[in-house]
Amino acid sequence: MKQSHWICMVYGLVIFYISLLSVDGVRWMALAQVSSLAHMSDEDSCEQLAGLVKRQKKLCKRHLELMDSVRAGAQMAIEECQSQFKYRRWNCSTENDKQFGNVIMKQGTREAAFVHSISSAGVAHAVTRACSSGQLRKCGCDRTLRGRSQENFEWSGCSDNIAYGIAFSKVFVDARERGKKRRNKPRSVMNLHNNEAGRRAIEDNMRIECKCHGVSGSCEMKTCWKAMPIFSTVGTILKDKFDGATEVKPHDSSELVPLNPQFKPHTDQDLVYMEASPDFCEADPKTGSRGTHGRFCNKTSKAIDGCELMCCGRGFTTRQVKVMERCKCKFHWCCSVKCKTCERTIDEHICI
Amino acid sequence: MAGVVLETLSNKKLLILSFSLAIILTVFFLIGGIVAPSPNSVMDTLTVKCYDKDNGWHLNNMKPFTPRGKDSCKYIDSFNDEEIELKKIDANEIVFSQLLPLPKEGIDLDMSRWFQNLIAVMDVNVEYDEDNPYPENNKPEMLIEAKLFYRDKEDDESDWKLLAESSEQRTLDCTIEPERRRKGNLYTCELISLFELGSVHYDYYLINIRLPIDPRNTMNRIGKLADMHVIAIFQNGGFTKVWFSMKTVLFPMVLVVLVWFWRRVQTQGRSTNLTERTIFALGIILSIMNCPIEWLTLAVNMPYMMLLNDIRDGAFYAMLLSFWIIFVGEHMMDQVDRNRLMAYWKHLTVVILGCLALFIFEMCERGRQLVNPFFSIWSSEIGGAAAFGFIITAGIAACIYFLFLCYLVFRVFRNISLKRTSLLHMSTLRRKYYSGLIFRFKFLMIVTLLCAALTVIFFIIGQLSEGQWKWGDIDVSLEYTSAFLTGVYGMWNVYVIAILCLYAPSHKKFTTETDDTDTNSREEEVQLTQLPSEASTLTSFITKQSAD
Repeated sequence: MKQSHWICMVYGLVIFYISLLSVDGVRWMALAQVSSLAHMSDEDSCEQLAGLVKRQKKLCKRHLELMDSVRAGAQMAIEECQSQFKYRRWNCSTENDKQFGNVIMKQGTREAAFVHSISSAGVAHAVTRACSSGQLRKCGCDRTLRGRSQENFEWSGCSDNIAYGIAFSKVFVDARERGKKRRNKPRSVMNLHNNEAGRRAIEDNMRIECKCHGVSGSCEMKTCWKAMPIFSTVGTILKDKFDGATEVKPHDSSELVPLNPQFKPHTDQDLVYMEASPDFCEADPKTGSRGTHGRFCNKTSKAIDGCELMCCGRGFTTRQVKVMERCKCKFHWCCSVKCKTCERTIDEHICI
Repeated sequence: MAGVVLETLSNKKLLILSFSLAIILTVFFLIGGIVAPSPNSVMDTLTVKCYDKDNGWHLNNMKPFTPRGKDSCKYIDSFNDEEIELKKIDANEIVFSQLLPLPKEGIDLDMSRWFQNLIAVMDVNVEYDEDNPYPENNKPEMLIEAKLFYRDKEDDESDWKLLAESSEQRTLDCTIEPERRRKGNLYTCELISLFELGSVHYDYYLINIRLPIDPRNTMNRIGKLADMHVIAIFQNGGFTKVWFSMKTVLFPMVLVVLVWFWRRVQTQGRSTNLTERTIFALGIILSIMNCPIEWLTLAVNMPYMMLLNDIRDGAFYAMLLSFWIIFVGEHMMDQVDRNRLMAYWKHLTVVILGCLALFIFEMCERGRQLVNPFFSIWSSEIGGAAAFGFIITAGIAACIYFLFLCYLVFRVFRNISLKRTSLLHMSTLRRKYYSGLIFRFKFLMIVTLLCAALTVIFFIIGQLSEGQWKWGDIDVSLEYTSAFLTGVYGMWNVYVIAILCLYAPSHKKFTTETDDTDTNSREEEVQLTQLPSEASTLTSFITKQSAD
């Protein structure tokens, strides 16, 4: 009785968050807001997740156990986005979900490109992680399956988990762009490209590790494998791609070419966008901009986090605040740390 | 009379023989490359962070921490969880746990006895954190308390039996580039060896690891830990099957040729000479190596199999090295009568010394692992230095050996070219015959060099391809590493078979061929029979020439 009550609450939350989002966009990312989908025990629950398109609902039913990883991936992507854009005018804030959805959807901007790429990378990363920890039972053993998987496993082992993570992200995240209405629209082509670029950021940055184990431990026999980069590394790579993104225009129904023909054509790993971003100085519901009023800035910096640029020349106020901080901590490799609390006075600069 | 098959063989037959051996070799290579999968598989697993609430680790009847299944432990997703703060979880209450193998496609896979061996390494992910930095100046020591449990499919799901437990000390070696020093980025850490099992006899293996913190010592001060991966490497079942089949086929083949060879030597009606005895010994040791006793591992738990195989391989290569020295020495074509093992004591000491060093090292590492699979000689400073010492000794011995061998080969070729001038004083038929002999001797020398060179070249290519991930990544149908292993194994078998066939004493008499009524011929034959020690007429001939 109690459990079903809880489930109702979860669905309530899901529906609440989803209703906040605008009609389109990477709406499945609404899953990030749900505290846990661990209780998604039957297929009906997929129907009630309004953030998903039909195809995604089908996938949800078929891969119920994966939905928790999808949620974790979306959450991880948003957190990483916010950490990468902490000191920029657009800071990936999801405080107002409607605007977040707008930014992603209504324009084909750099920011949209980044969010698409990092979210598809997030799902691939989270699914791979869950596969390697053994928490998912249905991860694939091989890309080309021959016979039963126990026999397959006995004959030649299983492939890396990343193959499955990437494949699932491709199917699930790209599903939205592959619907009948959206197929081959330039915006869809752009989104698909950026989704793929996000996954490539993981695939191309796998760390190769090797172990020698021949006769007497010599390197006569050497086995190598690929280790997945930590997600913040993926975020940093994609942020670099964001800075060097290529502005494109549709060439024909399924191809995008650089707007400036002098530029080198973009690669599969690059992010592409079709519209220039707004300056994000003032709040504008149309562009999803929240403005920089009330944002903190760095007085001494000349870069984008500096008060000059961050406040768009409007000036800033400075106030002194006392903060309680943990200090003189004794750390271990994990967990409980013994700290003292220190009080410190700092200057805070806030854009007008 | 004392000729060997090689000398009496016509060029045509020799060509046919070498051609068919080359084909057999290619077959071996292709079996490895096409039929067999890659020799090893990797399971990269992320350990589950179990929460040992009651601190039950040190209790005698401790319940193993299982990451999934009926009795799965309470676990936390990440060390950044709020739960840790709330429940005041301590580092000593975390147990890293993983169950091998991972489930796939909805099926609970199980380990197979065909896997033969299982090696596990730890990949410790240390996160960059300014407040809690990794001590980069002095590499920190880790104290790893590890337990390994096993269970069979028929057993109850919670019926885990302890296979091994140990407290091991390892050094953690991590680096980070200056531009990546940002909170959340990972250090690049060296892998830490966890355990090596010489047999995979059971269906499931459960690993439990604890990294205890004690305020009284400096163990496990490694900065901020993000995750711990355990990577399991095992031999692929498919490769094992191909390998066993190869051995099962080769073993009787070599044995038949070996028996034929020895019976032929025995029927000569004279005492055996050193070359023949050496070849026979080479054949015996090859047969021991080929003997497919590995089939027993499918029924009996034989963790010492890996050690035994290493020793068998080592014995074969030691014998091969000794054979080359003796073979070249016996074809020196100077006046010194060797034909005794004692004549080669210098060279053989080097071989034995090198092999002994490797053997002691092997016993220290793999021998010790029979008792404690978590043991690694490299983990302690003294052990590491000793191991390094053994390997250096073996390396020096190998260098000296090759200098010896090269010098001997050089002398043989110098002698041949010196004696060649005297060939001009002979009748045409005889000259043709003897230059043919020299050619065939050189032919075998070249084959030996070719075999050695091929081994080295394949080995280097294999190393490069593994490291750079050139092959095996995207739909390359040729498994290079497997092809290398089966190819080299087959090559040395074919090599020994060829030696056994070609260096068996011949029945053919030379008198029938030297039909030019030279008075020399009778004299020569006397000379030849006088020196039964020389395996080949070539050497006898040249000895005679120089005596003239």
